[in-house]
Formats: sequence, C-alpha cells, structure tokens
Amino acid sequence: MRWAGKVSVATVLFFTMLLPVQSFAAPKVQDAMSNPLAQVLVAIAFLLLLCIALLGYVLNGAAEVYRQKLKNQSSGGQVMPSVIAVVLLLLLGGNAVAQEAATPPAVAETISGLSYTAFYLLVGVIVFEILVIMAMVIQLRYLAGIGSAAKEKVMAVETAVVKKPKANWWWRINNAVSLEREKEIDLSHDYDGISELDNKVPPWWLLAFGMSVLFGVVYLYRYHVVHSAPLQIEELELALKKGEEQRTAYLAQSAGNVDETSVTLMDGAAIAAGKSIYDANCVACHGSAGEGNAVGPNLTDKYWLHGGDIKDIFKTVKYGWPEKGMQSWKETLSPVKIAQVSNYVLSLVGTNPANAKEPQGELFEAKADAPAIDSAAAGK
Amino acid sequence: MSEQLEKFYYDNKIVKAFAYATIFWGVVGMLVGLLIAFQLAFPIFNFDFAPTTFGRARPVHTNAVIFAFVGNGIFMGVYYSLQRLCKTRMFSDRLGWIHFWGWQTIIVAAAVTLLAGYTTGKEYAELEWPIDIAITLIWVVLGINLFGTILKRRERHLYVAIWFFIGTWVTVAMLHIVNSFEMPVHFMKSYSWYAGVQDALVQWWYGHNAVAFFLTTPYLGLMYYFIPKAANRPVYSYRWSIIHFWALIFIYIWAGPHHLLYTSLPDWAQSLGTVFSIMLILPSWGGMLNGLMTLRGAWDKVREDPILKFFVVALTCYGMSTFEGPMLSLKNVNAISHFTDWTIAHVHVGALGWNGFLTFGAIYWLIPRIFQTTLYSKKMAANHFWIGTLGIILYAVPLYWAGFTQALMWKEFTADGTLKYQFLQTVTNILPMYTLRGVGGLLYFVGVIMMVYNIWKTVASGKLLVNEAAEAPALAKVFVPTAGNSHWHSWIERRPIQMLVFSLIVVAIGGAIELIPTFLIKSNIPTIAAVKPYTPLELEGRDIYIREGCYTCHSQMVRPFRDEVARYGDYSKAGEFVYDHPFQWGSKRTGPDLHRLGGKYPDSWHYNHMLQPTLMSPGSIMPNYPWLLDDDIDTDIIPAKIRAMQKLGVPYPEGYDQKANDDLLKQAGEIAARLEKDKIKTAPNKEIIAMIAYLQRLGTDIKAKPANAAAKADVNAVTQQP
Repeated sequence: MRWAGKVSVATVLFFTMLLPVQSFAAPKVQDAMSNPLAQVLVAIAFLLLLCIALLGYVLNGAAEVYRQKLKNQSSGGQVMPSVIAVVLLLLLGGNAVAQEAATPPAVAETISGLSYTAFYLLVGVIVFEILVIMAMVIQLRYLAGIGSAAKEKVMAVETAVVKKPKANWWWRINNAVSLEREKEIDLSHDYDGISELDNKVPPWWLLAFGMSVLFGVVYLYRYHVVHSAPLQIEELELALKKGEEQRTAYLAQSAGNVDETSVTLMDGAAIAAGKSIYDANCVACHGSAGEGNAVGPNLTDKYWLHGGDIKDIFKTVKYGWPEKGMQSWKETLSPVKIAQVSNYVLSLVGTNPANAKEPQGELFEAKADAPAIDSAAAGK
Repeated sequence: MSEQLEKFYYDNKIVKAFAYATIFWGVVGMLVGLLIAFQLAFPIFNFDFAPTTFGRARPVHTNAVIFAFVGNGIFMGVYYSLQRLCKTRMFSDRLGWIHFWGWQTIIVAAAVTLLAGYTTGKEYAELEWPIDIAITLIWVVLGINLFGTILKRRERHLYVAIWFFIGTWVTVAMLHIVNSFEMPVHFMKSYSWYAGVQDALVQWWYGHNAVAFFLTTPYLGLMYYFIPKAANRPVYSYRWSIIHFWALIFIYIWAGPHHLLYTSLPDWAQSLGTVFSIMLILPSWGGMLNGLMTLRGAWDKVREDPILKFFVVALTCYGMSTFEGPMLSLKNVNAISHFTDWTIAHVHVGALGWNGFLTFGAIYWLIPRIFQTTLYSKKMAANHFWIGTLGIILYAVPLYWAGFTQALMWKEFTADGTLKYQFLQTVTNILPMYTLRGVGGLLYFVGVIMMVYNIWKTVASGKLLVNEAAEAPALAKVFVPTAGNSHWHSWIERRPIQMLVFSLIVVAIGGAIELIPTFLIKSNIPTIAAVKPYTPLELEGRDIYIREGCYTCHSQMVRPFRDEVARYGDYSKAGEFVYDHPFQWGSKRTGPDLHRLGGKYPDSWHYNHMLQPTLMSPGSIMPNYPWLLDDDIDTDIIPAKIRAMQKLGVPYPEGYDQKANDDLLKQAGEIAARLEKDKIKTAPNKEIIAMIAYLQRLGTDIKAKPANAAAKADVNAVTQQP
C-alpha cells in the first residue's frame, strides 16, 4: 500500500518533468538543453527528486515505527490529514505548475537565453519538488515525535485527568464541541445506528456564505444597475480598439506596413520565407509545387483568375475570393508575410510541375516592370 | 409505553442486482471512455466505421457513466440504505424489479440507438423520444417505490440522506420532462420543442442540474449514510446538514447559464448564472466538511481502512471540483477555460474522484455485508485506491495543461495584429497531453478491474443473505416529542409529502425566473430579418450533422472576443438561431468553431475534407466520414420533417412539405454540378451533398449582401451563394 503511494508520487513527478519536453520544447529540445541555465535547473530538479526518493524511504520506515506505537496507544491520531495535505499538494501543485508554465506559450523574449516557457516550467517543477519535500519533512518530524503536536498529544494523554486537552486550531475556529464532551450534544437520533451531533455551524462558514451572497449583489449591481463594468459586447469593442491601436503603433514604427498598393517584387531571402509560409498554409488546396488540385487552381501557368501582377496576388491572398473558395488571410498572416508568400507564388510561374491542373482564367502577360527574363521568354 | 416489536426482512437481492449492474456498466462506460480518449490522440481508432467514430461514441460514454454507472450506483445505495433508515422492507419487490430491468433495458436501448446515430443532439439528453418516455415511466415506478417505502416506515423522522433522495427524485423528474419536450418526426427522430437561445438555456438548465441532482445530491445522501456507518461515528452537525441541504438545492438550479457565458444568451441570465455559482461554494463545502468532520476521532481508522480512504478522497475531490466550478463561472476565467479541455479535466475530478470513489467505497462496504463474509483482499482494495488516485492525477493534470495552453494559443496575437497560431497548430500541440490523459484513464480502469476481481472472490466466498431479518416497533399513532427532535426542522422530517412539495417549490423558483422571461420577453432575442429557415437540403444536412455528433467537437458560437472575431468572423447573434431545433452551440472545441463556416471554403474542399480530413488539413485528428459519400439521402422523410418544423413555428409556406423535395433536388443538382467543375463526380442524392449544403449555409444569413438577402425572402429560392 505504501509503496504504491510512493510510486505514485515519483511517477507524477516523472511525468511532470516529461511534459514540457513533449509539448512545447519538442522542436527545440536541443537549443534548450544546451543552455547552461537549463542544465543547472534540470540538475537541481534531479537532485531534489533524489532527495524525495531518499526521504520517501526514510518516511516509510518511520511510518512503520509510528504505526506500531499508535497500535499500542490506540489513541486517535491526526496522520491522515497530512497525507491528504500531500495529495492535495500534489493536485494543486501540479495544477499550479501547469498554469505557471503555460502562461506564455508564445515565446517572444528569453531569460538568459532560455524561453519563458521552459524557464517557468523548470522553476515550477523545482518549486513543486521543494513543496513535496517540505510536506515530507513535516510528516517525518511528526512521525518521529519531534513535532510539537505529537509531544503535546502524548502529554495530553498522560495528563488527561488533570488537564483538559487543548483542541487544535481547526476545531477551535469551527467552534466544535470536544470529542470528550460530544455526548452532551448527541441528539440521541438512531437511524440504523447513525446518531447525529448538534455541533454549531462553523462561524467562518456562515460568514463566507454571507460574503458570497454579498458578492452576488455587488456583481449584479455593477453590471446591471450602475453599469460600471462592461457587458460582453462593450468588452469586445474595447478589445478591438486596443488591438487596433497596438497594431497601428507597431506598423508605424516598423517596416512592415505594406499593402496592395505598395507591395513590390522581392528577392531570394523573402522568396525563401514565402516558401515556408506557402508550405504551412497553401499546399492543401494548391498542391506542394503550386500545381493545383481538385480545390485550388494551378499557380504555375500564366493564366490567372484574379490577375497575375504582384499587387493582384497580394490582394487575392489578403482579402481572398470567398465565393470561389479562396479565404482571406489578413487575420492570419501579417502584411510582410503576405508580401513574401505572394512573391513566392509569382516565382512559381513557369516551373511546369508534374500533374499540373489545366489553366483557368485569363492569360496574364507580364508588364514591362516584370523581370527581364520573363518578358524575353514571352517575346519568343 | 408498551412497544410491540414487529419482525420484517430487508431485501438484499435487489441491492445485489443494482451493485452488479453498477460494476458492469462502470466497466463498459469506462472502456468506451478509454476508446474515445485514445481516438483524440490517435484518430485511427475511429476505424472509419460510423458507430465507432468519436461523435457517436462520446455520447455513449457520457450516458453510460452518468446514467448507467452512477445511476445504478444511486439505486444500489438507495435500496440498501432506505430500507434500513425507514426500518422496513421496500414498498414493493415487484416494482423494484420493474425498476431494475426497466432501467437496464433503457441503458441497452440507449447504447444501441446512440451508436446507430439516433440522437436529439442535446448533451446528456441525447436519447430519442420513445426512450425519454420510457425513462419517465421507470422514474415514476422508482418514485412510487421510494415514497411507498417512506410512507410505511417505522422510523418517525426522515434522516438527512432521505431528504437528499426526495430532492433528487422530484428535481430529476422536473428537469427530464421540461428538457425533453420534442416534436416527433417518426419513431426514432424528433426535433427539440425549443429553438436557439431558448433551447440552449433549457438544455444547460438541465445539463448543469443533471450534474447537481444526478451526480451530486443523491451521492450526498449516500455519503450521509455510508460514511457514518463505515467510520462508526456520529454525523458532525445536524444543523449544518439542514442549512446546506436547503441552500444547495435552492441555489444549484440557478447556475445553469454559467455554461453559456459570452454566448448569445442575454447578459442578465449569464450574470445570474455567475453569481449563483459563487453562492454555491459554501453550501457545497458544507456537505464536504460535514462529511470529513464526521470522521473526527476516526482518522486512525482511515489509515487502516481502504473504504474510508476512498470516501476521504471522494469528499476531497467533491470539495475541489465544487470550488473550481464556481471559479470557472467567473467571466475572466471562463474566457480561458470554456471550449477547452480544462472543462473535461474539471468534470473528471468530480466524476472519477467523487462519484467513482464513493461508489467503490460503498461497493466494498456493502457486498461483504450482504454476502455475510469479509472482503477477499483488503490489500488489493488499498492498491485499487492508490492506482485510482494516481489515475485521477494523471488524467487531470495533462488536461488542465492542455486546456490552458490551447486557450492562450487561441488568443495570441502577433505585434502586427494577426493571429499567431492556426487552429490546427493549437490542436497538434496538445496531442501528447491527450496520450497522457489516456494513460491516466487506463490506470483508473486497471483499478476498477482489480475491484471486479476482488468482489468476484468475495462473492464466491460468501452466500447472499436474500432476506435480512430485522425488528422494530410500529410507529405509535400519537407522536410524543422528545429532546432529540425538538428542532423546528423536525416538523418537516415527519412529513415526507410536505418535504416533496416544498423541495419542488424550492427547485422550481430558479428555473422559472430564468426560463420564463427568456421565452416571453421579445427583447431577449432580437429578430433579424435576413435570417431565413433552412432549405430542405440544408435541413437534411443538419440532421446528418446531428446524427454524426459533430457538436461533440465543434461549437457553433463565435464569442465576442477579439481573437474569435478575427479567426471566425462576426460574433454570433441571438436572432441567428431562431430556426435551430435543436441548437448546436456545442460545449467543446476539439475542432474549430463552425458558425461562420459558410462560404469560407469551396464545396470541393468540404467533399475532400469529409472523405479524409488530413487531405485538406494535414495533421487533423478529425475522423474520416467516407460513408457520407456512399449513402443516399432519405427523401421520403423530408415532407414529415417540414411538417414537424411547421408545427414548431418555422415559417415554411402552407403546403411546402409537398414541394420540398423538388427544391432539395434542385439545390443538390447545383452542388453536384459545382463539384463536377472541380473534377469530382458524385450523384446529387448522396448525404455528402446535404452536408455540404448545410455547412455552406452556416452563419451566412447575416453575412449576405442586401441583394442576396432580398432574394432569400422566398424560401423556395435556393439560398446558396451565387
């Protein structure tokens, strides 16, 4: 039974450590692990894990001794609550780690070369392990009889006749009648042997319940009487406005502010960037080489449904032609990326891939500003 | 006072039957759960076979674990405890067996029909109308047996467990009947009586309270019986049980709209859902703490006794999920959690921890007792406990992680104001979590198998005590109050009928205040002139969409968030759903939202995508739907469907049922022609054509230009994009 508990702790920790590697860091496991900070953190985490294993072993022995003692005394212990505390810690801790680590899935900045995700994840694991160790130490102290609670208890048992045993904080805040005097509040009900005590409702519980009702009143008052908090459509308007402000501010100070009137032909690096955008988004409908398929038209011939100029292609990608099945990409791709992928598409013209779809649309003749080779070829 | 002791016998045979059924359906339901868990990580497990695809198997899983596993668990516990708490045999053995076999028949019928694609498309209420009626009848049989027993009791006062049983019975009856109003089309097809926003509100008033009154209140009743019995301790506080019982059942019923935050539901109803969810924390915790504090002075037993361990973790999980639930009802948390796996993790902490562990504890406790023996292996039960706990952790943690990650990825914008991730990227990113979750579920299942073996050996070593002898005095004609029942509340504890009526009044208030204004006040659902009824072909496609359970993975509700408006299009308006019988907003986005799908892709894209989604979206985990390409549309049923819709108030012209098929064929022909242009040859009478028609219609009514909107005024006109 206890081995199972220990194994579960270890397994959870093991999986907690595994998770990031599989999900976030998967494509860049190598970069992350070659980072010195990451190595240090992983080493600490590993050492702590060893400590936990060691402590678990000691705890196991101590628990056995304690259990013997308990059997001899046959006094009501308070062991299980701490076991539950560990279980709770496991659950909540795991949860906290998950949330902490997941907060910035998009890595824009780094901490000493380590992504936020990886950093917080590792720190989260370490904090979690420390919490587990602390919980284990507390329990060990308790089992070994070092903990003051245990001492008091032993003393209380010995001097029960003389001194009233002191209830711990939990029972005090609940206004509970002590175990010894519970006969006085027994309602002498007998439902199939079940009797009921008439303990008071914990005052903190009543207070908290009252607070939750107050929360409800204030909430409804704010949203529906004085309107001091935004309802959902107002919230959307605020978010859109803020988003638009950020966007214009960013575009104003970056070179990325390109549109269908200002887009120009670009060279090698941009076309290479365009290719990766194409591969990620366009192949399903236009084929891996732009040959077209049952859904999208061939991009490699000289026939275009909506114009074959760079400005036309930019416009097609940006706004789409929804009635023909071409979707708009302006919410998904930034203006620069649209320019890059449009240039890549233009670079496909004349590549003659296998299985090319038959031409659709108008024959588009390159104008004078198109690359010289093309016009030369067209001239022949 | 001379008391004549009466001799009578408790019926253990019916308890045994329900216990076996609990275990059997638990195994079945969890196996299906494992299947669908691994389908998400490895779509090959959909087997390209309609009945085993996720969309049809998922309702089987939810229905099996809720109504078959937990349902039989409730009846096992009620039939065991009620007899003993009332000091009498059950009212009627015959009604008990009708109840037992009736319920099992309903479960089998449910599993078969759901796999065959007969569904109403409303979560946890998917069963078609004949089964709904059967459920109502069996529930009445249970009610008669329950109240018959209570009325012939030899115990003057009703113990708190029985209050919960009464509250459960009357509320489930109310929920089931109101939510199941539907217009039959034929023997196994119906349309929800309500449409759109109203249907959503009724559905989640039901859905939320199925959790409250099927998974919570009856189990609190069982908790109040089995924990004091197993720990041999008095209940901590009688007063507390009174206040938390009434507060719980009164407040719970209001909280349904928290499933619909940021949807087209009116703001005031959403806010009621939020505030009542917050108020629900303490009444829920009253139950958990009163249970845990009953164990005061028995914690040394918890160390030794696996049964008490199960109960303690059950209560702890109950406390955690009833705290988490209200937190998820706060708008800012819900904006992240809703439609993600966070919700799935949340419900499973409750289902696996609270319902599962309480059931296991009760089974381990009562089986040896009715078989007059001891448990075969305490050690194995303890190992079941540990492996089950580990299973819950391994199930929940990856899904919390997945949900949180995915929501943040959905919302992430780049600095230039574009969405950072394609939807598909947010799915493939969390696939390892789905695998881990499956492993967690598998561990939990291994624990259940250990229990099956343990119980098997226990039963083999004992003999069922079919009729357990007991004796008690009959109730005296005149009631003489004693000190133990001088509390004002003991008045109603002596009066089961008043208890029933008063419970019904208390639970009816919240529902009435939320539902009635939403139905009667027009401003709650502003009408939109451009929104027209579905064409016959689209309606048929919609029925296929419902049949295949698309709503289990796709929402049709663009929430008013910047990222959703950017990703999907204009946010959804209440007036757009007025002809949606039933609504299909969904509750989970394993795939993207579909409400603005219409016109986004060409017909040929949909054709290929339904045949094999990975053709159009490499990496997609959606199942293949090849049978839609082969199966014919059933045109015979179309007139009946139109007539049913007319009865529900959908404004098709008089006599349109007879013309519907002409329009259907015309529209189908146009789609087939468009597909042919893209070199896809298909007959126009295939189901895929109807499906494409529906998908292309979705959300286009208010997208359409004014000229198109005018053309749509005539429903005979084909509403396809030009």
